[in-house]
Amino acid sequence: MTEYAVIGKKVERVDARIKVMGGALYAADIQMAGMLYGKIVRCYDYAHARVTGLDLSEAAKCPGVVTVLGPEDVTTKAYNASVLDMMVSTDMRTVLGDIDDQNIFTDHVKHYGDAIAAIIAISEEAAERAAEKVKATYEELPVYLTAEASKQPDAIQFRPEKPGNLAFQLPEMAFPNNSYAWGDVDKSFADADIIVEDTFYVPKQKQCQMEPGNYIALYDDQQRLNCWTSTQMPKLVQKKLANLFELPMTRVKINQTVIGGGFGARLGMVLEPETCALAMAVPGRPVKILSTREEDWVTSPSRHPGKYWMRMGFKKDGTPVACDAKFENYKGAYYVDASGTAFTTGAWLGGMYKFDSLRYHGESYYTNQSICGAFRGYGNPQTNFVMEQLVDRGCVELGVDPIEWRKKWHKTIGDDGWCMGVPYNSCALDECLDRAAAAIGWAEKREKYKHQSGNIRRGIGVAVMNHTSGAMPMLLEHTVCDVILHQDATATLNLACSDMGQGSHTTLRQVAAETLGFNYEDIYIATGNSDAAGFDIGAHASRTLYVGGGAVKQACEDARRQLFDRAALELEEEVGNLYMEDKIIHVKGTSNKSISVQTLTDQGINNFMNPETGELIGQPGQIKGYASFFPPHNAPPFGATIAEVEVDMETGEVRVLQLVNAHDVGKAIHPGVVEGQLDGGAQQGLGMVLTEETYYDDKGICLNNSFTDYKMLGPSDMPKMTNILVEDADPTGPFGAKSVGEAGIVPPVGATANAIFNAIGIQILEAPITPEKVLKAIII
Amino acid sequence: MKHHAIKLTVNGEERELTVPSNRTLLDALRDDLGYTDTKYGCGTGECGACTVLVDGVTSINGCLTLAATMDGRSITTVAGLARDGNLHPVQQAFIDHDAVQCGFCTPGMVLKTISLLADNPAPNETEIRHGLEGNICRCTGYSKIVEAVQDASDRMQGTGE
Repeated sequence: MTEYAVIGKKVERVDARIKVMGGALYAADIQMAGMLYGKIVRCYDYAHARVTGLDLSEAAKCPGVVTVLGPEDVTTKAYNASVLDMMVSTDMRTVLGDIDDQNIFTDHVKHYGDAIAAIIAISEEAAERAAEKVKATYEELPVYLTAEASKQPDAIQFRPEKPGNLAFQLPEMAFPNNSYAWGDVDKSFADADIIVEDTFYVPKQKQCQMEPGNYIALYDDQQRLNCWTSTQMPKLVQKKLANLFELPMTRVKINQTVIGGGFGARLGMVLEPETCALAMAVPGRPVKILSTREEDWVTSPSRHPGKYWMRMGFKKDGTPVACDAKFENYKGAYYVDASGTAFTTGAWLGGMYKFDSLRYHGESYYTNQSICGAFRGYGNPQTNFVMEQLVDRGCVELGVDPIEWRKKWHKTIGDDGWCMGVPYNSCALDECLDRAAAAIGWAEKREKYKHQSGNIRRGIGVAVMNHTSGAMPMLLEHTVCDVILHQDATATLNLACSDMGQGSHTTLRQVAAETLGFNYEDIYIATGNSDAAGFDIGAHASRTLYVGGGAVKQACEDARRQLFDRAALELEEEVGNLYMEDKIIHVKGTSNKSISVQTLTDQGINNFMNPETGELIGQPGQIKGYASFFPPHNAPPFGATIAEVEVDMETGEVRVLQLVNAHDVGKAIHPGVVEGQLDGGAQQGLGMVLTEETYYDDKGICLNNSFTDYKMLGPSDMPKMTNILVEDADPTGPFGAKSVGEAGIVPPVGATANAIFNAIGIQILEAPITPEKVLKAIII
Repeated sequence: MKHHAIKLTVNGEERELTVPSNRTLLDALRDDLGYTDTKYGCGTGECGACTVLVDGVTSINGCLTLAATMDGRSITTVAGLARDGNLHPVQQAFIDHDAVQCGFCTPGMVLKTISLLADNPAPNETEIRHGLEGNICRCTGYSKIVEAVQDASDRMQGTGE
């Protein structure tokens, strides 16, 4: 195995010290002279209504109010808060049917908390008090909370161009028969000996990132629009805001603040349009908008809930012959990324097993709920809940061990990946399964839990997953990085990659140090300023280390090559005869011929010409490496989780005793960072399968948009966790690394459901698997 | 609304301010005094991001405490823990165990840990997890935080702090 100086080492995270000392500045922490406060007026009385009257006059008279803004007082241009439409070509955007259906303020309320007006005041409290004085009258409309309701022929149409309230289905032009498919599914099912089938439900889970959405915007005296935001995607938000306010990109600046967690909630725009629209109304004054937790809940996107039907067919010998599936998701009030998850949910399904044929339909229906968008896993946890339970049901009918079946039939190197036509280039899933099984004692426990009676029953279950490192070739993947070498032989990287807390700036710095041959401490990452940084698509699809790391590596190789070229000239040697050690470039086989990196970098900058000849000395010019990097692949990570649970047959309560997560990560650039992603992913995956769902009453009023009423697993609820990092270098990843950001949330979902199945012999078809659902299933 | 002239000692510095009756300690610290290291996460006492220490070791939720009731008391925020550039052992343990990700829960989590260890200098894992129940972290799954608390406990007992 290659020996690295910095890669694979447990260096101190770049942001840990400032965060434990309280110095990290999140958007809410930033104060500016002359700051004003914005409060968005939202409709909390109805989830679907027309605004028949809006009277802002009383609000305008409140003390401290600077101005009040209704729908006509800000840009009325429609937009799409998602950035997915900017990740595909113009042609593909047309094929997909992406639309702009949001406005800053609406006169047609489509979900609980939709925005109808805003107040700008000298303090947050003054703005809130004035917001209470806004008088709005409404005409109540029927509320549609499911696809089944909103697709009814007499339902009110959310958008004229989306008949039947079908916001999206896989388009015929790119997906014949509106399906993601291979083979002849109907013929394959005719050949099947065993068929398993069911309709499942997956919940509206919320990211619950700890920092609510907070923003500042300033339309400054240079007529530039500045926005301070913890977006995951600064460069796409810059372009989106430029489009919305019809400004060139040079007049829009994103100042990315420290990000208090993302998990998809900050993928695209959230309240940047509203904040900027308010700032445009008061030029020269910064406007701050702070979200309450309850407000953040209903304004930022959630996971796509919905009905998920699936059928699988097997031969008696276990051969998976066919899989047919349909995910009808309840997309929420606006289009945003209706297309993305509807597709990928099927892509992860297609990428997992060697079915002879497969057919997947993905449909997104408008509903009167808050919008759905990106959430860690992006359709993969939904598929895991359904696919992995059906596989286990198949295994029971086949009489085979679920791990043995998976090892035999999962896709691997050379098979078509989640995106057909792009074969997998690495896969260490067998090792993941073997090591996880050994760690938990799979065979013994599986045997032991076969015949149980009594109130407390245990079960053990497995699930596997495939994911991606970046979204190539489905979406654009591109990162620009430049690295500038200072005269003291240190280096600053300039790029727009986001660190939401996942540790990417730490691992990118490790990649830079290793590539340059510098120390970790010699590198600084300058980021957060959209004026200075080149393009980066943003933090999504677990791509930052893979694509951003690829860019960093290429830029640093460029700088290193320049160092070696200069050293070769100075030492009068061929580049091939040189090597670097401790930042000194030596000639191979000699002990006295060398030049330090610092001499070269200093000479590049502090070059005082020869006073006699008037010529510059040696190799003048500051060294700057550059990369505009498009990744060659999507380096698929694989993973397996084995869960052990205990079910109380009297109360229906499920307790997870332990999880073993074994993940094929390629190369762990920083093991602590990797483990942190798996630990955190597991907490969210367990939440989805056991406790987490945003609920609405039948009028569409949200019932639990708060930490009081929405149950996440706390420290005492978490099981014993073991992480196994399987390192099998990917040929295309930086130092062999594959992604890990989303992988950890996925297999705990299916594994826990399967462990419950193993314990009680019944599959619970709706997530979260609450005690009520377990009891109901046991009693029936 | 009635206003109250109060004195708070924050991180060792005496501060005087006038607050309305409904002003929370969280808002007073963040907005009136500039201690933005105290975070708003939920406003309802569920997440613990606003945790501060009162008179050294007692942890409270700043969002549920009225500033006026803290007149004369000493408040410690996470920015007040380091001494002469040396981190508190709990801070150092959080760094060493990669217990920090997005960092938004970190100030509250660190302060809660100090309070927990003051009550119980050598907690077992169950006691640590129970003690942290009022503080939500969405990044770490709590594993590395629990490790950090265990290590901090060992360090503090070792040094007699």
